[in-house]
Amino acid sequence: MRRLFRARYAAPAALVGCVGLVGLLAFSPNAAPAGVAVTTTLPALTTTATTATPAGQPTQSVSGALNYAAPSNQTGLFYAQLPQAFIAPGEALFAANCASCHGPAALGTNLGPNLQGLGAGTVDFWVSTGRMPLANSSVQATRKPPRFNRLQTLEIAAWVQSLTPGQGTQVPIVNTNDADLEAGNTLFTLNCAACHTITGAGDALAGGAYAPTLHLATLPQIVEAIRSGPGNMPRFSEGNITNTEARDIAAYVSGVIQHPVNRGGFGLGGIGPVGEGFVGLLIGVGALMLVCFWIGDRT
Amino acid sequence: MSDDAPRLEGPLPPAALDDPHLQPYAKHPERAQAVAAVAMVVGFVGFIGFGVAYWVGDNPQWEAVTLGGGLLALGFGVTAWGKYLMPQGPFEEERHEFHSTEAEREAMTAAVTERGGMVLKRRRLLGGLFALGSTAMGIVLLFPLIRSLGPKPGTTLFETNWRKNSQLVTLDGRPVRVDDLAVGGVLTVFPKGHTGSSQDQVILIRLAQLGPLDPPLVIHPPGRTDWGVQGYVAYSKMCTHLGCPVGLYQEQTQQLVCPCHQSIFNVQSGCIPEFGPAPRPLPQLPLTADSAGNLRSQNGFNQAVGPGFWERP
Amino acid sequence: MIDETIDRSLRWLDDRLGIAKGGRTFLDKIFPDHWSFMLGEIALYSFVVLLATGVFLSLYYIPSAHEVVYHGSYVPLRGQRVSEAYSSSVSLSFDVKSGLLMRQAHHWAADIFLGSIAVHMARVFFTGAFRKPREFNWIVGVSMLILGIVNGFLGYSLPDDLVSGTGIRIAYSIIESIPLVGSYLGTFLFGGNYPGNGVIIPRFYILHVLIVPLLLIGLLAAHLGLLVKQKHTQFKGKGKTEHNVVGTPMFPTFIAKTTGFLFMTSAVIFLLGGLAQINPIWQFGQYEPYQISYAVQPDWYMGWLDGALRIMPSWEWVGWGHTIPLEVFLPAVIFPGLIFNIFIVWPFIESRHTKDLAYHNLLDRPRDRPLRTAAGVAMLTLLFMVFFASSTDVLANFFQVPLVGVLWFFRIAVIVAPVIAAVVAYKICNEMRAAEGIGKRKRPQIVTRSSTGEYSTTEAEPRPGDGVDELDAIPVPTYIDLVPPELATGAGVRRVMR
Repeated sequence: MRRLFRARYAAPAALVGCVGLVGLLAFSPNAAPAGVAVTTTLPALTTTATTATPAGQPTQSVSGALNYAAPSNQTGLFYAQLPQAFIAPGEALFAANCASCHGPAALGTNLGPNLQGLGAGTVDFWVSTGRMPLANSSVQATRKPPRFNRLQTLEIAAWVQSLTPGQGTQVPIVNTNDADLEAGNTLFTLNCAACHTITGAGDALAGGAYAPTLHLATLPQIVEAIRSGPGNMPRFSEGNITNTEARDIAAYVSGVIQHPVNRGGFGLGGIGPVGEGFVGLLIGVGALMLVCFWIGDRT
Repeated sequence: MSDDAPRLEGPLPPAALDDPHLQPYAKHPERAQAVAAVAMVVGFVGFIGFGVAYWVGDNPQWEAVTLGGGLLALGFGVTAWGKYLMPQGPFEEERHEFHSTEAEREAMTAAVTERGGMVLKRRRLLGGLFALGSTAMGIVLLFPLIRSLGPKPGTTLFETNWRKNSQLVTLDGRPVRVDDLAVGGVLTVFPKGHTGSSQDQVILIRLAQLGPLDPPLVIHPPGRTDWGVQGYVAYSKMCTHLGCPVGLYQEQTQQLVCPCHQSIFNVQSGCIPEFGPAPRPLPQLPLTADSAGNLRSQNGFNQAVGPGFWERP
Repeated sequence: MIDETIDRSLRWLDDRLGIAKGGRTFLDKIFPDHWSFMLGEIALYSFVVLLATGVFLSLYYIPSAHEVVYHGSYVPLRGQRVSEAYSSSVSLSFDVKSGLLMRQAHHWAADIFLGSIAVHMARVFFTGAFRKPREFNWIVGVSMLILGIVNGFLGYSLPDDLVSGTGIRIAYSIIESIPLVGSYLGTFLFGGNYPGNGVIIPRFYILHVLIVPLLLIGLLAAHLGLLVKQKHTQFKGKGKTEHNVVGTPMFPTFIAKTTGFLFMTSAVIFLLGGLAQINPIWQFGQYEPYQISYAVQPDWYMGWLDGALRIMPSWEWVGWGHTIPLEVFLPAVIFPGLIFNIFIVWPFIESRHTKDLAYHNLLDRPRDRPLRTAAGVAMLTLLFMVFFASSTDVLANFFQVPLVGVLWFFRIAVIVAPVIAAVVAYKICNEMRAAEGIGKRKRPQIVTRSSTGEYSTTEAEPRPGDGVDELDAIPVPTYIDLVPPELATGAGVRRVMR
């Protein structure tokens, strides 16, 4: 029995095993996308109705997290109106954390662009994904653990919105009950796959930019990105992708892209033949070559 | 080999049972047999397991583990049997001289040249005519093999369904209106009545929010400014490299990137390729807006869309 | 009792087929044992698995571009109009028992088939096994490589999904790029300008399941037949000459080991087939010519062509009313044509260069032929560089470097790396040859200390497999005294087991 595990197999077996393991881990769907820290997402806006709450108005729960009430018996995409009470704290937060780059009136400086007219939803996207505050503006901002909690994020958003009331992308409330996954699939393939890939894995763009992975986006963030077109992403207005279509895309991303049916086994990173070739050659052919080492002679 | 073994018919006397060449390779054959036996039992269990997994569940992972595990174990067992328990050898065999003798080779050559030469040289006419007939047969038999496959390209490589005043519609057939897209928006459009057509696919981009009375957005190269309307530009979506749909629009850098081989086109300047293997700009579709606010094409394309081919001037 | 039955059956067959003499020679046939001689078997057995799983798949797949509405188990596709090819492939993956296992095993087997051919071909090349009299077998082998690559492309294009459909679009454009006849060949094959009239799917299907496999099986028979006739090569060693083969006999040892290897190859393929997902077509959706995904690469054995297409500069020749798209024609038609032609004529290039017309049944160690090894390393490096160039976008994303930079890196690496690799390989070969005791298994020196404090060394005992205690090779014994001598009856009687 000992003969079967002689030292001469140790080196090639270890090599193949290590490389194969690295390959499996690198392409494991649960690993964080390269270059992006794993975030702890704060609770997104929920749609649990509390008693006697007018549609679209927030209620303060005991913990301080925010719950918005969706219009009852209606599914789809709605836009929240942030309460007036958020504006003052938002101004203070902005002044302390954002004004150094974006200017005290959010009109922009040479370090950061003008935020007026972009809307609360745009601000919510950048801040809740942790892209803002941004240390180094010379490279594309990456998703990282958000600096602010949900309440603070919405306060900042409310203040920026208050500078140009009614303009820009609003904060969405996404109810995916009765969403049409097939429509979301078609729309996603036509509009999103060319940059984010068909499995939402993300890929490199020209000029050092990249389309990020979609596996960590929350429902509001998806719609906010669609409407506001952050960075190099195009801006899809309601005449291009309607509210229902945006809701369907968000449901598809959240339901299917983020929870892919990997009926065939390990997903190998969802990047297609690159991962598959890696595994097939190193693990498949490699393991069989090890068997050849065992069966055959070395002389 | 045992000396008192009787000489028998056959090339060699029998080998004795205790000949070292016939002994197993394993130092402890009983242990090796035990390992191989266990492996084969595991294999058997694995195959039964596959049967169970097949009937009980709908789970490819269990099917693979049982079937693959069974094959691996049974294979390991029989390989171990062969390697460790069968006669270890080494045995040899002779390589016989590969080629025929000189006499045989000369005879072969003579058979061809002399007998063949006798008939061919005397009947050159017949030989030549047979060659001619066979060649003709070979050539014409290629016609059904190749030509029958499909139609000649004709002018189809040059044609699209975009005409003067074709209406731009989305994939669902919805007409595209001037106020549909925000600045930085992008949409795949087709001529009305031909949605989904490969040759007609066009990518519509809004570069600026301009009203009907605003000065138009300047598009380089010269003369193309009036091919846009109210900040919209439209280009054939088929990459001029290999025909992939150029769906990747970078709004900040105003570039279209083809996802297949990363050709980069500059949208502001008529989609001239800035980098990558694409040789020509994406053909531009001249746009106009009608009185109802629907986007239409002024004309079709002024050149063939898509990759290059011989007949393309 | 069973011995008599076997005896009677063999006589019955021999009366009709005359198999006894040839059959015994076949059973005595010797196979050399080196592990690297088994690489071709990986290819052979993965081909067997391809045939077996392929038969299964062919009973479910529908080769038609005709549109139907998908009504199967995968919800995000329900209600979509898709081709029957796509619908049947998705149904095979979700609604047929063991369907996905067979489909994925088939796909993994194809990847392993071509990977093992590559490794096997490298072994044959670097040991000079293609020399006289085996040039035909080399050419047969290269032809199988080409057909295998083609069949793999045809096979993964059959489900008509978004990713493979993009590959078909690219293939059409490559055909189109051929001067003079390209546009004709394209519309002939596809039944019209792209996407054609839908006939491409059934054509790919019949090529994939009938025409190319028949060619492959024929070439495989020739490959194995030549191997039987010419016998396998072997490395130099104790008792091995140009005029013998030393190893294990076909029956029973080699058959046992190779059957076990067939099972183990199948095992690896089926384990991958259910544990590692490959080509999840339901996630890609139906192919439409106006849709595309990013990070789209072809299967690995086509990657070198994709990489060549990416790094090629955009040189297009336009003149006198015609266009030759060199940026397509050179990397996708001329480059592979050149490479495969070099492969095919290599035995003749080498024999002309070395002026060596002798028979070679003994193999070279790669270090003994530095020029050939360097040339092979240069070719492998070139192919690796173009292969990696196919993942420029994935590499740029993974390493967070600019896309354009990755591309320029490969444009330069493709030219520079093979040269550097060849020079390094050449030097290593020469150094290895000059080293003392190279290739011999080193024996450990056991250091002992005497009671007075002196150190002395003795060589350790040779280990099994060191070649020191190997027996001399003997011819395969036809008859074996199965009865131990002490139980023998008198002389003159043939001893047999009862």
